Amino acid sequence: MSHEAIAVIMFSAMMLLLMTGQRVFAAIGAVAAAGAVFLYGTGGVDIPFSAAMKLMKWYPLLTLPMFIFMGYVLSESRIADDLYRMFHVWMGPVPGGLAIGTIGLMVLISAMNGLSVAGMAIGATIALPELLRRGYDKLMVTGVIQAGSSLGILVPPSVVLVLYAMIARQPVGQLWLAGVLPGLMMAALFIIYIGIRCRLQPHLGPVLPAEERDVPLAEKLRLLRAGILPLAIFGAMMVPFINGWTSLVESSAIGAMTAFLAAVLKGRMTREVFETSVRNTLGVTCMFMWIILAALGFGAVFDGLGAVKAIENLFVGQWGLDPWTILILMQLSFLLMGTFLDDTAMLVIVAPLYVPLVHQLGFDLIWYGVLYTITTQIAYMTPPFGYNLFLMRAMAPPEISLGDIYRSIFPFVGVMVMALALVMIFPEIALWLPEYVYNK
Amino acid sequence: QSTIRWRMQTYAGPALAEHVIKPHIEMFNKIAGDRMQIELFFADQLVPTGELFRAMQRGTIDAVQSDDDSMASPTEVTVFGGYFPFALRYSLDVPVLFNQYGLKEIWEEEYAKVGVKHISAGSWDPCHFATKEPINSLADLQGKRIFTFPTAGRFLSRFGVVPVTLPWEDVEVALQTGELDGIAWSGITEDYTVGWADVTNYFLTNNISGAWIGHFFANMERWNELPDDLKTLFQVCADASHYYRQWWYWGGEAALRVNGDKLKLTTIPAEEWAQVEAEAKKFWDEIAAESEVKARVVAKIREYNEVMEKAGPPYRYS
Amino acid sequence: MPRIIVAYVRAVESLNYRIGRATMYLIFVMIAVLMWSSISKVAFLPAHWTLETAQFLMVAYYILGGPYSIQMGTNVRMDLIYGGWSARRKAMVDAFMVFFLLFYLAVLLYGAIGSTAYSLGYWGTEPFAFFRDLAMAFLSGGPEAAGEVIGRLERSSTAWRPYMWPIKVVMVIGIFLMLLQATAEFFKDLARMRGLEIGRGARAEVIRAPGKDPAKDSDRSTA
Ligand code: NA
Ligand code: NA
Repeated sequence: MSHEAIAVIMFSAMMLLLMTGQRVFAAIGAVAAAGAVFLYGTGGVDIPFSAAMKLMKWYPLLTLPMFIFMGYVLSESRIADDLYRMFHVWMGPVPGGLAIGTIGLMVLISAMNGLSVAGMAIGATIALPELLRRGYDKLMVTGVIQAGSSLGILVPPSVVLVLYAMIARQPVGQLWLAGVLPGLMMAALFIIYIGIRCRLQPHLGPVLPAEERDVPLAEKLRLLRAGILPLAIFGAMMVPFINGWTSLVESSAIGAMTAFLAAVLKGRMTREVFETSVRNTLGVTCMFMWIILAALGFGAVFDGLGAVKAIENLFVGQWGLDPWTILILMQLSFLLMGTFLDDTAMLVIVAPLYVPLVHQLGFDLIWYGVLYTITTQIAYMTPPFGYNLFLMRAMAPPEISLGDIYRSIFPFVGVMVMALALVMIFPEIALWLPEYVYNK
Repeated sequence: QSTIRWRMQTYAGPALAEHVIKPHIEMFNKIAGDRMQIELFFADQLVPTGELFRAMQRGTIDAVQSDDDSMASPTEVTVFGGYFPFALRYSLDVPVLFNQYGLKEIWEEEYAKVGVKHISAGSWDPCHFATKEPINSLADLQGKRIFTFPTAGRFLSRFGVVPVTLPWEDVEVALQTGELDGIAWSGITEDYTVGWADVTNYFLTNNISGAWIGHFFANMERWNELPDDLKTLFQVCADASHYYRQWWYWGGEAALRVNGDKLKLTTIPAEEWAQVEAEAKKFWDEIAAESEVKARVVAKIREYNEVMEKAGPPYRYS
Repeated sequence: MPRIIVAYVRAVESLNYRIGRATMYLIFVMIAVLMWSSISKVAFLPAHWTLETAQFLMVAYYILGGPYSIQMGTNVRMDLIYGGWSARRKAMVDAFMVFFLLFYLAVLLYGAIGSTAYSLGYWGTEPFAFFRDLAMAFLSGGPEAAGEVIGRLERSSTAWRPYMWPIKVVMVIGIFLMLLQATAEFFKDLARMRGLEIGRGARAEVIRAPGKDPAKDSDRSTA
């Protein structure tokens, strides 16, 4: 069988299994196992398990349960409530101010956790009902929360960038720093969009009524203290890490510990919060790890059967495309695959195919990591299918229909595509900070 | 007749493999043509390096390029694989020990016992420290987390080094994240080639071994199935790759010390470094006491070094 | 459903539930190990066992916790078509498709058993025979005879050099439990096809109207 045929068969078999709603790891693992047993030849049967040994040595993945735990502690203990009040009071008097404040809230939450789910959960439980109650347009609100939560994996810490770092063999520290400015830029673009839109159409984001705006200055200043907590958690984690005092995984444990202590000290670590955080951390970590395990097996079989070479050959050899066309095609293919592949699976299966090629084409892999992250976030927000959309649907109140959710994200996706284009045209947006910090 | 297809995995990552193996596998494929093709995979690509030996034994991988230590070979000779301290001074020591002092027979025997064909051994680069902080005395080694080979690590821990083992490909990342303070893994050529020179600042000119021993292995059944001429072709290409490394490293080590601008050189004074060398002799005795095979290898290494010392310059200057 | 199957499903699920509940607290052990690692690094000589210990803990965490995570339903499904189906249809498709999962887990288990045999010094191609001999030797001659069967123990090739067999045994057990959970899922799906809900948490043989299954009708459906 030709390498191309194997690539096509393995990919379509996997898609088929995914389409029937099977657990993602089972679908990927089954195709990997079948390829290993029936196509690989002698000794192939050992490959799915040897992926487990490989996974064991991927020590940066120890950050995964740490960040997941952190995210749950933050969202379950509602220590973000104060943060929301801070933005609420300070931003309330501006048209669309609460939406802008929600983006600010998302930036701070992003700095405290490595996934986008926590941001989504906090946004949907705290910000969403408040904003709807104040007469904000529901499309504006759901769009803001989805867009804002995508900052979670761009602003450090970021689990997606850790995984990307493992695959592309790039330093996590640099990748994380590379995500900072694009993340802040994207947040700024969101804010500009909301600001302009709400000035033109004030009914989308009405200013707070006068009686609510009238908060004494002392109270306003007191509320600013809420911002100390995220900065403290971010600092406890990032300062020792960037300075090389502690390693990546150690820093993530410090982060988890700090978040846990913060919840305890604020009296929010109830038995129920504890139970939910600990249990869900196990559940979500298992989900990720089993997908990565299956995907690593899939990747090794795919590679061993020569399918990786086939794809490279197609892009560079047969089609003879120029580097930028290939890069843009890759980004488009991510958008397409984002409709049926889970983001972790996409990263572990597809990134190993693309990363060597991107490198060969002469692009910077740190920069590409940022492009990759923004692109997958877009993929998860674009209809008809996307994990963020489903998550929003699960968390939103019943008056928000799936149609509303679909329509709400378009302007924000537009903003994200613009951010993507800016980072592509001006790589310095991503690369300036890591170069500044690491080139002493 | 259909083409014989082998999968081969090296312990080296893509950047290093570009020099240490890829040209010669391409050479093999070009000559063998439709009769046989070897597909080369890099470090951890199909199986993790720690599982390489078992994968080869089981036939998941047909052939391997590695030292004994990195691929976790379960043989008695593993301990001599990656930088057995102070056993070798120059890279030519390796082929001489294997071909004139009988190490080749011992290796072949030990690997045959576990179903693996030992094809040939060749030398690689010396083992130097590259670190973030300068090392000017033995005291500077205290508490340094160093990526190194397991055996070298066991030895260096006597001087306060904390040996760390990671997948080879993660080392650069670990140096930047603070997981590691430095490496004692290679010579300066490799530091520059694989990018470690970009993430470390200092290079210690004293080495704990003048050459590393790398091997080509194959699954015994796969090897036996090959027609004789292809076996010979494989051996010739392996030898060509040994030869390439011989001059590539020898020239590279000298040129980069002098012309390289990424690493500052430091040296521990010879009198102080002599302590390390003396400790190594004790370490040899301890290893020799572990088994009969190890004792035989240590005896040959000792015999060889005595000859070299008596021969004087250019074999030994001290 | 036959009583024996209902009992089997309940037994498997309770076992996995208990193991999963115990495993979930390993997160604190991991945090403790990594905190010790940071502290020892700053305060005195860095400990060289911490990273590998944390790795082993992580493996135990996700492998032993796997079956419980299936019970919790945290595994993502792509529900673009699936989400629109009735509970009965989902159960039918799942009951068939679970064989793909079983196949994957069987291959994983086979690899794990072979790798564990290797870690106990067996280099042949029949790991099952090796374990049979090991068990026989142990039963007839006690630990000493079993020691005779065991060969060169595999150690991790790090300076700490821990033995590899304990973690591999944990993996074998975890993958086996996962396999049991998958068979339980199969029987649960068979029951659902008849409108029944069995297993842990379900009152035995409670009859539910089809399509009213809260566990399966995830609100993430796209329909
Ligand atoms: Na983040
Ligand atoms: Na999409």
